[in-house]
Amino acid sequence: MTLRFNTDFAAGLFGLLFAAVLWFPREGMGRLSIIFPRAILVIMVVLSLALIVKAFTKPAARQVEIEGDPRRLVIMIVVLFAWWYAIGVLGFLGATAIFFFGLTWYLAHIEGPVPVRRLAQWAPIIAVLIGAFYLAFTEVLSVRLPSGIWS
Amino acid sequence: MDMLLEALFSILTLEGLVTILCGVTAGLFIGALPGLTATMALAVLLPFTFTMSPLQGLMALGAVYMGAIYGGAFTAILINTPGTPSSIATTFDGYPMARKGRAYEALAAATIASVVGGIIGVAFLLLLAPPLARLAVVFGPAEMFWVALLGLTLVASLSSGSLLKGLLGGCIGMLLSTIGVSPIGGETRFIFGIPALQGGIELIVALIGLFVVPELISMAAQGRGALPESGKLQGGAGSAIMRMGRHIFGKPINLIRSCIIGQIIAIIPGAGGNVTSLVAYNEARRFSKDPASFGKGNVDGVIASESSNNVMVAGSMVPLLTLGIPGAPPDAIILGVLLMHGLRPGLDLFTETGVLTNGFILSMGFAAMFLLPVGLLGGRLIHRVVVKTPFYFLLPSIAMVTILGTYALRNSMTDVFIMLLLGSVGYFLRLIGIQAAPIVLGMILGVIAEKGYVQTMLVAVVDPIPWLRLVANPLSIVLACLVLLSVATTLLPGWLERSGRMAKVDSDEEKPS
Repeated sequence: MTLRFNTDFAAGLFGLLFAAVLWFPREGMGRLSIIFPRAILVIMVVLSLALIVKAFTKPAARQVEIEGDPRRLVIMIVVLFAWWYAIGVLGFLGATAIFFFGLTWYLAHIEGPVPVRRLAQWAPIIAVLIGAFYLAFTEVLSVRLPSGIWS
Repeated sequence: MDMLLEALFSILTLEGLVTILCGVTAGLFIGALPGLTATMALAVLLPFTFTMSPLQGLMALGAVYMGAIYGGAFTAILINTPGTPSSIATTFDGYPMARKGRAYEALAAATIASVVGGIIGVAFLLLLAPPLARLAVVFGPAEMFWVALLGLTLVASLSSGSLLKGLLGGCIGMLLSTIGVSPIGGETRFIFGIPALQGGIELIVALIGLFVVPELISMAAQGRGALPESGKLQGGAGSAIMRMGRHIFGKPINLIRSCIIGQIIAIIPGAGGNVTSLVAYNEARRFSKDPASFGKGNVDGVIASESSNNVMVAGSMVPLLTLGIPGAPPDAIILGVLLMHGLRPGLDLFTETGVLTNGFILSMGFAAMFLLPVGLLGGRLIHRVVVKTPFYFLLPSIAMVTILGTYALRNSMTDVFIMLLLGSVGYFLRLIGIQAAPIVLGMILGVIAEKGYVQTMLVAVVDPIPWLRLVANPLSIVLACLVLLSVATTLLPGWLERSGRMAKVDSDEEKPS
C-alpha cells in the first residue's frame, strides 16, 4: 500500500510533539537534573523546525510504501498488545498458549485454509515449545513468570 | 614467563578444556536469546561456579562472557535482533547480507572476527595491562563527554539519507535515556506519575522494541519468514568460511583498526561493548572505499562490529584486574567472583596470584579459539532452524521469546508494554525516515554524555566560563578535535557535492524504508 504524504513534515511534526510532551513537565526540576534534557529539547525543537522548513522548500520522499497487507499489520500490533494484557490476566502459560496457537493459525491461513487435522498436529509442538521455554526460564533462570488470576 | 607457563599447564587439562567448552556453548545460546545479556548469562551461571576451584570458576565465567558476546551476533544476522546490546552494529550489515542469501557468510565472518578479536584482546591484556590501566584513569567527566560526542557523530552514518532525521532520532534516544532518576541530581524526570518509570527505560527493552517488533510486524504484514527463500545457504558451508577467511586476512586493516578501537574504548570504564562496536563500525565505514554499501550488506561492517566487541571482553579486564574498575557491566560480576575468592585487583594479582590471574586470562584466549568450532556448528544449526521453520511458527516463537526476554530483565510487565509501544511507534517512525539505530545510539550515549557534561559543570561552578572546563586538559582537547574532525569528514563530502566541486559521492536517493 502506498501512502502519499511529506515525510519531512511528518518527522518534524513528530519531533515537535515529542518535545512538547517532555517540555511541560520539566518545571520544578533542579538545575543539575534539567540542564542536559533542556539542551537536548532545544536542539530537538530546532531540528524539527528545520525539517518543517525543509518540507516546504526541499521536500524528501512524498510517498511511503507499506509492504504487505495493512490489515495484517494492524492485527499484528493489536495481537501483541492483547497478548501482553492477557498475560496479566491469565498468566504467562495460559495467555501464551492461546495467543501462540491463535497467531499460528491466523498466519498459516495466509497460505490457504488450515484443516482441523493440521491444527491438531500443531498442538503438541506448540505445547512442547511453550513448555520448554517456560521451564527454562522458571527452573534454570529462576524467573518468576506472571501467573495472573491463578496466583 | 614461568608463571605464564605454569598457568598454561594448569588450564591445559581435560577438566579445564571441558569447562571452557561448556562455558562458551552456554554463553553462546544465552547470548543468542534477545533480552538475555552477557551480564545475565554470567549472573545465572555464577552459582554453578561456587563448587569449583577459583581458577576453574573464573575460566567458566570468562568463557561464558566470551560466548555470550559472540552469541548476540547470531540473532543479529538471522532475524535482525541484536541478542546483546554489543551486537547492535552487527545488524546493520549482517541482516541485509542474510536477506541477500549470504547469511552463512555473515555468520562465518562474525565468527572469524570474534575469534581474532578475542585472541587479540587477550594478547593486549597479557602484554599491556599496566600501561593501559594508567590510560584508563586519565579519563575524567570531560573526556567521557567528548567520547560520547565522538560516538554520536555516528548518527550521520546511520541516518540513511537524511542527516536531520538521523539527528532527530538521536535526540529522541537521548531524551528517552533521561526518563527516570537523574544520574547527578537524583530527581525523577519525565515519569508522568507512573512509578514503574522511575527506573527509566532499560536500554535492552528499547533495543528489543525498536529492532524486533517492527520486524515482527513487517513479517506478519508480508506473510514471510525472517529470511526469504534466497536466504538459504548458497554453496557449501566450508566454501563460505574459506571465502570469508580470505576476505578478512587478505585485507586485514579493517580488522586491525577495529581491534585497536575496541581495546582503547574497552579500557574506559562505562563505555562498554555497546559503544565499542558502534564506533568501530563507523570508522570501518568512514575508511571504506565503498561507504555507500554499508548498511546494505557489506561484510566489513560485520567484521568491524564483531572483532571490536570481542576485543572488549578481555580488554575491559585491564581496568578491572589492575585498578578494580569494571569496564563493562559483566565485569562487575567477575570482580565479585575475584573478591569472593579473596583476590584483590592490583599488582598483587599479577605477582602473588600470578598463576591464577594468567590462567584466567589465557583461558579467555582458549574460549575465543573454541568460538570457531562451537560458533560455526551452532551458527549452522540456528541458521537451519530460522530458514526451515515455517514463518507461522517462527513469528509467534520470536514474539514469545521477545516477551520472555524483556520480562526477565526486571520481572516487569511494564517493560514488556514499553517494548511493544516503542516497537509499534518505531515501525511508523521507520516509514517516515527515522531509523531505530540513531535512537538506540542516542540512548546509549545520552547517559554517558549527560554524566560527563553535568559532572564537569559541577566541578567548574566557580570558573568564570564553566564550559571551558570541557577543554581544560590536553586529552579533552584532542578528543574535542577528533569530534570536530569526525563531523567535518562526515559533512564535507556532501557539502562539496552540493557546491558542485566534487562528483556525486553517494548516488543513493533518500528512500523510505
